[in-house]
Amino acid sequence: MGLTGLEIFKHLPKTNCKECGFPTCLAFAMALANGKTSLDQCPDVSEEAKEALSSAAAPPIRLVKIGTGDKVIEIGDETEIFRHDKRFNHPTAVTIAVNDNEDVGTKVETVNELVFERVGQRYEVDMVAIINASGDAATFKTAAETAAAKTDKNITLVTDDVGAMEAALGVVADRKPLIYAADKDNYEKMTELAKANGCTLAVKGEDLNSLAELVDKVVALGYKELVIDPGSRETSKVLADMTQIRRLAVRKKFRSFGYPTIAFTTKEDLREEMLQAGVYISKFSGIVVLKTDKKEHLMPLLSWRENLFTDPQKPVAVEPGLHEVGEPTADSPVYITTNFSLTYFLVEGEIDSTRIPSYIISVDTGGISVLTAYADNKFTAEKIAADIKALGLEDKVNHKKAVIPGGVAVLKGKLEDESGWDILVGPREANGIQKFAKSNFA
Amino acid sequence: MIIIGERINGMFRDIAKAIREKDPKPVQEWAQKQEAMGAGYLDLNVGPAVPERVPAMKWLVEVAQEASKLPLCLDSTDYDAIEAGLEVCKQPAMINSVPAIADKMDRVFTLAQKFDAEVIGLAMSEEGIPKDAESRVALSMELVANCDAYGVPVDRLYIDPLVLPANVGQDHGPEVFETLRQIKLLSDPPPKTTVGLSNISQGTKNRELLNRTFAVMAMACGLDSAIADACDEELVAAVATARVILNMDIYCDSYVDVFRNQNL
Amino acid sequence: MAVEIMKEKYRSSVREVVLGATKDEGGTRSHTIKVGGETTLPFLHFEGDIPNRPVVAMEVWDVVPEDWPASVKGFFEDVYNDPAAWAKKCVDEYGADMIALRFKSADPDLKDASAEDCVPTLKKVLEAVGVPLIVYGCGKTEKDNNIIGPLAEAAEGENLLLGVAEQENFKPVASAAMASKHSVIAQSPIDINIAKQLNILISELSTPLLERIVIDPTIAALGYGIEYSYSIMERARFGALNGDRMLAMPMIGNVSQEVWSKKEAFLEEGEPTWGDQAERSLAWEAATSMALLQAGMDILVMRNPESVKIVKKQIDDLMQDNSY
Repeated sequence: MGLTGLEIFKHLPKTNCKECGFPTCLAFAMALANGKTSLDQCPDVSEEAKEALSSAAAPPIRLVKIGTGDKVIEIGDETEIFRHDKRFNHPTAVTIAVNDNEDVGTKVETVNELVFERVGQRYEVDMVAIINASGDAATFKTAAETAAAKTDKNITLVTDDVGAMEAALGVVADRKPLIYAADKDNYEKMTELAKANGCTLAVKGEDLNSLAELVDKVVALGYKELVIDPGSRETSKVLADMTQIRRLAVRKKFRSFGYPTIAFTTKEDLREEMLQAGVYISKFSGIVVLKTDKKEHLMPLLSWRENLFTDPQKPVAVEPGLHEVGEPTADSPVYITTNFSLTYFLVEGEIDSTRIPSYIISVDTGGISVLTAYADNKFTAEKIAADIKALGLEDKVNHKKAVIPGGVAVLKGKLEDESGWDILVGPREANGIQKFAKSNFA
Repeated sequence: MIIIGERINGMFRDIAKAIREKDPKPVQEWAQKQEAMGAGYLDLNVGPAVPERVPAMKWLVEVAQEASKLPLCLDSTDYDAIEAGLEVCKQPAMINSVPAIADKMDRVFTLAQKFDAEVIGLAMSEEGIPKDAESRVALSMELVANCDAYGVPVDRLYIDPLVLPANVGQDHGPEVFETLRQIKLLSDPPPKTTVGLSNISQGTKNRELLNRTFAVMAMACGLDSAIADACDEELVAAVATARVILNMDIYCDSYVDVFRNQNL
Repeated sequence: MAVEIMKEKYRSSVREVVLGATKDEGGTRSHTIKVGGETTLPFLHFEGDIPNRPVVAMEVWDVVPEDWPASVKGFFEDVYNDPAAWAKKCVDEYGADMIALRFKSADPDLKDASAEDCVPTLKKVLEAVGVPLIVYGCGKTEKDNNIIGPLAEAAEGENLLLGVAEQENFKPVASAAMASKHSVIAQSPIDINIAKQLNILISELSTPLLERIVIDPTIAALGYGIEYSYSIMERARFGALNGDRMLAMPMIGNVSQEVWSKKEAFLEEGEPTWGDQAERSLAWEAATSMALLQAGMDILVMRNPESVKIVKKQIDDLMQDNSY
């Protein structure tokens, strides 16, 4: 939505001169709000008004890119405070920091190894941030070069020294790294570097007011590919600042904060750091930079990110078909369920806990749950029987017994007819599977 | 939608008598009855037959707020009476109402600013009530601009697009709904909206049916409140239902009871 | 442009629930704990009051938990056989704010213990620790309905937090709470409408009990649907602050119970990319708690002392004032 009638009216001279063809400025403002005229009809409108009107049509938080190619990171373009109102669009870019005065090559290789597979998804870290801990431009440059050579992940360059940044850009500019950061002392030169190299620029304030001021200055220099840092570093303060930035951008169209944000962890203890990063992912950070390179910490963080950024309006589905829990044999039990993620993983988890290797047939119900699918005629005896056949179960197991969810016990008879298999009626709830398996398959 | 309970009005005999005899009981009983049915405000109107409106309004305010914690809606065209009422209100009240006429807006918005009051603004001018939505919206815009100019937050303005009875102004109905929708685009935050619900059924049959049907249809167009019969059980149930359908209240099986009992 | 800080002003607040009772109040706790009372969204101190910090309850069972991972057994090996000593260790050594006592022995598939068998354990635990208690049955509804009354009676005046009342089965626990002056966990199956309706049903049984309800929305573990619970909690909490009295209660989550049954927590081998089980398990549990805190969880029921430690530290950080 563009500006409202009242907002437009406030920018007008209120002389009612009628040059625009409307009897009053108020009438003109309303017509403009409804797209029935154009601002240039008014001879007396200010530059500020023109700027306000054009920027009003832009999304509340700019979409910015870091990196190139198929691994390019997109952040920003958010419109919500709560995911349940619509969804969060662009998952937080999780970034691991590497100091330029440590063994950069080894650390970067460790980061490359941080790949996890679970529930049919592949998770990895998005970026490596090279920190100019040495204070030396040459060291920084070497570190950037080493890192770029050893990873195809995207890169953030962290230094407040323009000389060092320039040196590093000299070797990695083609990777379109994030330039961190412009501050009140170096922003003119940093903005120039960002412009010249076509890189997104981070802008760091000391607090919200100084951040807004600095963003305006950078924008006045003609650059808008920005990521913003409110400067706070304590968990509670960061939470407050990120909340303010998101609220002001989305609800008040406060243009100075209309950019994605970046947060840095500060906890020394890696476990505590993991939780700190988790808060930042939860609350509105476009990028989170952390030190830990431990799989055990990153796996839950990346899973949480995945969960938070799923679209609440789309049921999450798993690949339909035959799944194995453990290493099933020809004697192993066969369970039948839908391909709604929540259902599937609950069932799979419970079957796992039975410690009895089994097969699961995940029937394609379009990603909806057992009872809903049954009511919708998407979980039928015919379909299940067809799946049993198509998935070759009759060659995989030497029995002809399958378990259906207790909620659709009514399907037993028909399914037995359709498939020629013996159908066992399982528990209504997944948490009954352990007991069921104990009684039937132990 | 918030219901502004309409019963305490001097046009009802029991209230007129109470005002005449300075008997608080009928006023207080109606205040409590409307509160128990989930009303959000109590409208207070001294009625047409009162010689001295200023002391009468003052008395109504004092007596009503003794019995109920609901905010009050002072209903009069006599702004001296409104001012007298505002002076004794224990909490911010609502001024009912002001048309889009310059000197009246001047008086009322000044009062609203002074007493931190909400204001019902009528989308009409000296020329009366326009028919088409565009004209109603233009008058609404006047109210919004004036409200803002006097430093009253625009979301404390409730615009009444003015409802005519279905058997008389039947062609106004669709215009009113369109007006309600467009009012929400006038400013950010937008003004709120209200109607005198009983007006849709003035002089018709099936009064309650007309009232509650209009109410839920208008809610879908953004109606925030209505001056209405808070003791009409079916109206209250319909409003509760519309709130759930519009995702304004979280559903639960007893949602009608929850809405009705909200003040208890 | 100067920044105009946006502060929300909400119409209403979350109810404050007191747990436990001291000598003056008819119990034997050394102190009571208050949960809830928030006047704004989680940890936004700059615009409201968060009078009570979220708390961590540690689980104690009245049977040895055979299935708990080896990495955690080490913390409790010396006390697994003695619920009182186990509870004491949780409070004294591991910083538990409350104890969540589960009478697993009552499970017909385990020991099928009777209420008479369970009461002495409850008394011993009450004697061993001064913190408020949460009391759960074995998780099998029919059996729990039989034991909750006697347990409640035996601890009359202690203001236990009794679990659980459900929509289809709320009378036994709610009545026990009414009769013996305890508080109630109202549990719903990841369904906000049922959560709301259940509170109404309980209030119809006893209006004063409305002030002693803690909502359990049922949490799903991180990676297993946590976002459903998260969004229900955010919607409920937002409703609570905007006049929805029937959702304006503090919330409790069974973190470890959900997390520990998942592969990520217990699997020792088989997934080479997953790293060390002990570290991963505690991280999964702590991260689940972290996320739930951001959605307004007031009581976290946890098991691993190492997770408890870092979660409590984060709560310290989150309770720091962030006013402008």
